[in-house]
Amino acid sequence: MRGYVIRRVLALLPTLLLASMIVFVTVRLIPGDVIDLMLSQNDVAADKRSREQLIAVLGLDVPMWQQYGRWVSAIVLHGDLGKSLWQGTPVAEQLLARLPVTFELGAIALVVGLLIALPIGIYSAVRQDTGGDYAARSFSILLLAVPSFWLGTMVVVFPSIWWGWSPPIEFTPFAESPGRNLQQMLLPGVVLGAALSAITMRLTRTMMLEVLRQDYIRTAWAKGLSERLVILRHALRNAMIPVVTLIGLQAPLLIGGAVIIEQIFVIPGMGLLLLEAVQQRDYPIITGVFLMVGVAVMLINLGVDLTYGLLDPKVRMR
Amino acid sequence: MSAVLPLDDAAHDPGFWVRLWRGKPLGVAGAAVLALFLVCGVLADVISPYGFNEIAPADRLQAPGVAHWFGTDNLGRDVLSRCLYGAQLSVIIGCSAALLATLISALVGIASGYFGGKVDLAVQRVVDAWMSFPDLVVLIVVVSVLGPGMPQIIGTLGLLLGIGGSRIVRSAVVSVREHMYVHAAQSIGAAAPRILWRHVLPNVLAPIIVLLTTRVGTVILAESSLSFLGLGVPPPTPTWGAMLSGSGRTYMFEGPWLALAPGLCLTAVVYATNVFGDALRDLLDPRMRGGR
Amino acid sequence: MTHPGFAIGGARTMLAALALATAGAASAQAPAKAEKPQYGGALSIGLVYYTVSPLSFDAADWPWKHNQDTGLTYEQLFAADLSKSVRNGGKFPFISDAFLPPDGKRGELAEKWELLQNPWRLEVQLRKGVMFPAKPGVMAAREMVAEDVVYSYDRLNKSPKKISGYFDHIEKVEAKDKYSVVFTYKTYNAEYDYRFGWGYYSAIMPKEVVAAGASDWKNANGTGPFMISNYVQGNALTFSKNADYWDSETIGGQAYKLPFVDAITYRVVKDEATMMTALRTAKVDVLEAVRWSAAAELKKNAPKLQWNRSLANGGLFVAMRVDTKPFDDLRVRRALNMAVNKTEIIKSYWGGNAEMLGFPMHPAWVGYYEPLDTMPESVKELFTYNPTKAKQLLAEAGYANGFTFKTQTTSASTDNDLLSMVAAYLAKVGVKMEIQVMEYPAFMSAMGTKTNAPGYYMFTGATNPTTSLRKNFIKGQYWNPSQYTEPEFGKKMAEVYAEPDERVRQIKAKLMTREILEQAPYIWLPTPYVFSAWWPWVKNYGGELRAGSERPGPIHARIWVDQEMKKKMGF
Repeated sequence: MRGYVIRRVLALLPTLLLASMIVFVTVRLIPGDVIDLMLSQNDVAADKRSREQLIAVLGLDVPMWQQYGRWVSAIVLHGDLGKSLWQGTPVAEQLLARLPVTFELGAIALVVGLLIALPIGIYSAVRQDTGGDYAARSFSILLLAVPSFWLGTMVVVFPSIWWGWSPPIEFTPFAESPGRNLQQMLLPGVVLGAALSAITMRLTRTMMLEVLRQDYIRTAWAKGLSERLVILRHALRNAMIPVVTLIGLQAPLLIGGAVIIEQIFVIPGMGLLLLEAVQQRDYPIITGVFLMVGVAVMLINLGVDLTYGLLDPKVRMR
Repeated sequence: MSAVLPLDDAAHDPGFWVRLWRGKPLGVAGAAVLALFLVCGVLADVISPYGFNEIAPADRLQAPGVAHWFGTDNLGRDVLSRCLYGAQLSVIIGCSAALLATLISALVGIASGYFGGKVDLAVQRVVDAWMSFPDLVVLIVVVSVLGPGMPQIIGTLGLLLGIGGSRIVRSAVVSVREHMYVHAAQSIGAAAPRILWRHVLPNVLAPIIVLLTTRVGTVILAESSLSFLGLGVPPPTPTWGAMLSGSGRTYMFEGPWLALAPGLCLTAVVYATNVFGDALRDLLDPRMRGGR
Repeated sequence: MTHPGFAIGGARTMLAALALATAGAASAQAPAKAEKPQYGGALSIGLVYYTVSPLSFDAADWPWKHNQDTGLTYEQLFAADLSKSVRNGGKFPFISDAFLPPDGKRGELAEKWELLQNPWRLEVQLRKGVMFPAKPGVMAAREMVAEDVVYSYDRLNKSPKKISGYFDHIEKVEAKDKYSVVFTYKTYNAEYDYRFGWGYYSAIMPKEVVAAGASDWKNANGTGPFMISNYVQGNALTFSKNADYWDSETIGGQAYKLPFVDAITYRVVKDEATMMTALRTAKVDVLEAVRWSAAAELKKNAPKLQWNRSLANGGLFVAMRVDTKPFDDLRVRRALNMAVNKTEIIKSYWGGNAEMLGFPMHPAWVGYYEPLDTMPESVKELFTYNPTKAKQLLAEAGYANGFTFKTQTTSASTDNDLLSMVAAYLAKVGVKMEIQVMEYPAFMSAMGTKTNAPGYYMFTGATNPTTSLRKNFIKGQYWNPSQYTEPEFGKKMAEVYAEPDERVRQIKAKLMTREILEQAPYIWLPTPYVFSAWWPWVKNYGGELRAGSERPGPIHARIWVDQEMKKKMGF
């Protein structure tokens, strides 16, 4: 077991290196580089000397492989992810400020998604192909089919017209005041979770169907309440598998942030950080975000795979 | 353990279609919507009453009525026509990207699953790296590199979803690989391509088909998200996503039909692809663990 | 004095018009009966660019947004004289992004100043007793002195991110004694007080802040009425009151110490619909930029909001590259202008909320602006819809069958639909416009590297009269997508910059504007109105937007909140 874990962690490194290299290079190839963008802020055209000066100050005058080398060594030796090209503030600082926000949003979304999906999935499986099944599944899929930006917009705009209420736009960290924090974060978490629920619902339903199809289960179910409880417990344990799968699948979302929801609900998360950084060509932030997201997701996936082994004895790691 | 019905038998099984019609009314409804959508998309040029960019400022923001069944937008363009052309675009974008994605999923998944060993390891590491990044984020970066435009979006979405879906195909291939007749074929000395074609492919066709169906909906949704962020297919092309996130949101009070029309179309089609895909999955391979 | 290149006749008409304009100044409204201001409460404000996060807190990074982000903390030598705003019975709306009328200017940190000749120099006497507040870990409280001004200028001048040539007209800056600073200039430059004085890059920052780390908002410390108390990137920038601020405001004949409110928060919201909702539910008290379509709807379901309307600071246009065919032919450029129905655009696209503008001038630049209906026929013609004449001109130029050209625009633009409308008009005279949408940085890059397409659709900020003419139509300038590089025009520009007499400058600027309008390097499009909105408990405010270059700080510092009224209204 330990060997497996170590092997997996070690396997992460080449993947990470490869991914970071790709991101590093790709980002710098985007047309319209940061120098042009910075110089375009001003009313006066920049001469060649200013341009070169600016390039040097930003550390972009050396060849790309050298920049990459500097970046990697800074991370490995000092844990330094560099400084934002525009704000001059450390990248790590910005990432660490945004990560818990995104995490919290993702966690709420997961919980909400599960709260919706599990009951519907189980009910749908038990009452397969009945009117109730169709209604429940339709509801869940409808939540998926409406674009999240539209759902979010409606949730923000219409209550303000009908009841004069809108969710708070001022961000309060959870540690500072959980109440005020949740006032802002709960609603977007629900909207995000609603969209996730369809996928989980499907997984749960499939699991439950498989469980129920087995003959002895069917007989026991028909027999009565106490047996049903046993089955439900058995089913729930199996239902943990889709839950864990879901966490694995949605991990990028949890860490990378849901850009659209963040934009609509004014949540300072990783998604918006990345979007702004891409729009401004702030390379250190872009590569920093990708790195952090990549590491976190890979670790989460490792955790998911390990948990599989615990939950489902049929799955054994090679 | 109930046996998996190889698909080449399922297609020839008249019972399959009967089962679909009788047992999966939701799936049938979904199929009907999809058929309608396909027809509208293909025939948009013929059946739409106006062009999609006929600007008539004098007629702006008219509510649905006799002349314009779905009303007009802020530039006086007929919303119904734009929705029909939107269907055409969704067919093109949705189907191309979904096909591309499924092709990639199939190739990668089958290669990885069947050959195993070092190939599998290497490919899965790349897939891992790829899947570590949030979809939208990768899209944003790629569209920024390549610039907004339809071919770029189709290519990017296809690649993104393709690599993600390869896992599902791979696991199906892996489970098939353990099957007796594959071993048998191998022991007889049949060549790999022949085995792949005759034995592996038919059995993983089920998840592939389901993937294809649901992918269409996912692509349409993804394009609408990109439009919202300003990275979608550029105007004046009337994709439903662009209509919904653009003038649909700006004029949501003055002209709610601007958002309702494309919104309902979008939701209906995505809903349809999902329920139809679910029905297919139930019939063809109930053991398949649905995922992305 | 004779001015070569300017028709004497034109100058005379200009002088006459100038006299008329100053005589009939913008209608003075009697100021509302002054209420007694209250202290306390907090303000939540959405700035003009509320979708953009603060860029940098360090002036030496030369960030254009510095005054918006730190204008409540760092002060400058000069600022707008808000007692002369329209709301107070004066004639200045104070909405221009980078223009201060000379008689609408007051000394902020400067008490007295004088511009002298031989050599050209500006002698400034600073206010005495202006304090930098104590900031733990950064500095003890101390007085602001001439050394601080010199230090700030030097730091900006030596920064590797400096805009090249920006301070080239300055010979040296010295502190003569504790409270006086002398700027010695090599030559006269009309923008002398704009470039360092009340401009984008004129903040007076103490050296202690720099020593502690100027990029960190936690170290920011200035003489201004507020101090940065919290910053959540991508969400809000919060300021708290500087209890020892030096300035006071006279209301109803009595002087009150500033500032009135305890805290101000600048909100960053990327989504327009969300921001409108926040305004509707009073999560923001003041919103400086509301689009006309949203304004119409808000007036219906939030009727208690107060409104101010102003013409957007800039011009919307399709630039045509005059160095390519067929746009090298003046007839073609004029034809395309006549082919677009600008009146209909105002009515249908902007819902009536736009005006045809004599770009690159702007009506807020009192004295510099000439309305279109007083311009010669050759200019007025370009704003009248005449597709017949357009086709005629095209035929004359040899394009009877029309032609095709590519126009670039950016996905960041909110008005790409309008471009489609323009394309539709052009199609009617046989000209086909192909639209290429680019992402914003790529779009900017194309213009900056002068590789932009023959058509280029953009909105350019107005700034001030001299900058506006220069940046759009002079050779080598960044914001010159039409590649208009007439050497004679360049010479006239240089003359305007070197002209110390403002009245003469105004005349020359007007003549240059007429000329460029006539030459039509752009398809001139109407400029929309923008609206600002605020709730009635926001007092001593009339929708003014800038008291310097993108600097709303002094305006916000003078606002007081009627907390009783706010509670009574249910918020």
